[in-house]
Amino acid sequence: MRAYISVFKMRLKMETQYRGAMLGGIICQMFFGIVLVALYRALFDSKAQTIPIEQVTTYVWLQQAFFRMMVATDMDLWDKVKTGNISYDLCRPVDMYWFYYIRISAQKLMGSLMRGIPMMIVAFLLPKGWGMVPPASFAGLLSCILALVIGLLCMCALENITMGFTMRTLDAKGMQGLLNLLMVTFSGNLLPLTLFPDSWQKVITMLPYAQLLDAPIRLYTGEYPVSGAPLIFLRQAVWAVILILLGVWFWRANRKKMIVQGG
Amino acid sequence: MSYIEVNNLRKTFTVRKKREKGKFFREMEIIEALQGISFVVEKGELVGYIGPNGAGKSTTVKILSGILTPESGEAKVGGRIPWKERKEYVKHIGVVFGQRSQLWWDVPIVDSYSLLKDIYRIPEKDYKDRMDELVEALQLEKLLRTPLRLLSLGQRMRAELCGSLLHRPELLFLDEPTIGLDAVSKLALRDFLKWENKEHGTTIMLTTHDMEDIAELCSRVMVLGHGQKLFDGNLKDLLEKYDTVRTVTVKYNTAEPKLELTEGAQIIKKDGEIRITYTPSEIPTANMLELLQRAGNINEMTLESENIDHLIAAMYKEMDL
Repeated sequence: MRAYISVFKMRLKMETQYRGAMLGGIICQMFFGIVLVALYRALFDSKAQTIPIEQVTTYVWLQQAFFRMMVATDMDLWDKVKTGNISYDLCRPVDMYWFYYIRISAQKLMGSLMRGIPMMIVAFLLPKGWGMVPPASFAGLLSCILALVIGLLCMCALENITMGFTMRTLDAKGMQGLLNLLMVTFSGNLLPLTLFPDSWQKVITMLPYAQLLDAPIRLYTGEYPVSGAPLIFLRQAVWAVILILLGVWFWRANRKKMIVQGG
Repeated sequence: MSYIEVNNLRKTFTVRKKREKGKFFREMEIIEALQGISFVVEKGELVGYIGPNGAGKSTTVKILSGILTPESGEAKVGGRIPWKERKEYVKHIGVVFGQRSQLWWDVPIVDSYSLLKDIYRIPEKDYKDRMDELVEALQLEKLLRTPLRLLSLGQRMRAELCGSLLHRPELLFLDEPTIGLDAVSKLALRDFLKWENKEHGTTIMLTTHDMEDIAELCSRVMVLGHGQKLFDGNLKDLLEKYDTVRTVTVKYNTAEPKLELTEGAQIIKKDGEIRITYTPSEIPTANMLELLQRAGNINEMTLESENIDHLIAAMYKEMDL
């Protein structure tokens, strides 16, 4: 256990070193946020919608604030696979899947908090109809936080599955690009899932990608009532377990076929 | 029972060939990296493992360090099968891959060490003692707070070694540890390895292309080629067979020395120097020296045996590698 805690701490510490990248990330995500909000405002102006604009802008800002949690990748790990430095991790007395899982989770957690908190503060200060609004209720906020934690578990499991593909293809970009496209679309980052047709939503909200940020955000805005939260946690947890099991199995299969090329 | 016992170890890799014209699928080619290797190593031995590139040296190391699973054959190290009891096994070994890095790129190396401490569950006191010892032996005290990326190659190799030895492994694998190092760093590294082997009885298995490493460090050497073991014994015995030529360079005070050489010696005259290459089994060195002295007044003379790299090259050539 000590090894996993230690690698978690180490990765947290490492993440705090990249403050320049953090600032760049915030600016980039703020820009995207503003553009998206302007877009939805234009949409709402031309035709009245059933969903209040505040809810959509809050959705957009939370998506942007936690963007790092979704698409952050630990480049070091890609490099390890590509260069074969992974050899060293293979001869450590730890379970490699969890060792990487923990490492990724630390990066995602720290990376998104470092960017998300300043961004949310700014978003709260924006004028009404542009920025974020407070949570629907205190219980809603708490359940949002818990849902974010379970979402993070799913997220890291997805990341490890992508990593499993990288071990096979030795190229992170291809599979990652494909999976990120699915993620950005079905997690609500591109277009809030609330704006999808109702019949679509029935399916999309069941997919693993909706568990990452969409479910927590809807708990925050109150679109999902707090009374329904336990069921949402359950749905998220089931996905987390499935994704982790898939990843563990995938890695185990990889391990048997593994070759470390060169030198 | 010996410490390392390897019996008939085999490993093949499947490589996809370039697609031939007119064929839809690419053909697969099976490369036999190891074709039944067997050897034993006793505790505390320092063994050199040599062979040309692609001979299967690194593959052996990777199998014995639990990374790869062989196709067939047995291997036991300290009574454990590396690829079957991996997690338990790797606690007892240390590995240094000369071309790879185990320390974190962006953080001070001491932080990487403390992570390793937790990975190997080294008790605090033990860690401190060992760190003090290694830091002194490897001269790391000034580098501990430096991130890895700022270290030179030689410093980095020292730092890597420290990382691999923190948990006091019984067995240390070194895969080309001196690659790219300057003379001073190489010498320091060799001294350190000798010290570690003597002081702690650590068994060391070393693959290298640097024959000086072997000559300096290893009492025993194994030669690998085409996935087969071709020689196992001490370096002297290995070289004796190929070490057949001597070169002597002489400079005379007299302008025209009268050399009367017997058959079988080659002479090259250049800038007043005379280089003679001969075979001691045909012309004994004592006779050769006598001949040279008779020819004139000698100003300077050196006698050299063949360069060790040439010997190894000759050996690889004869073994058809």
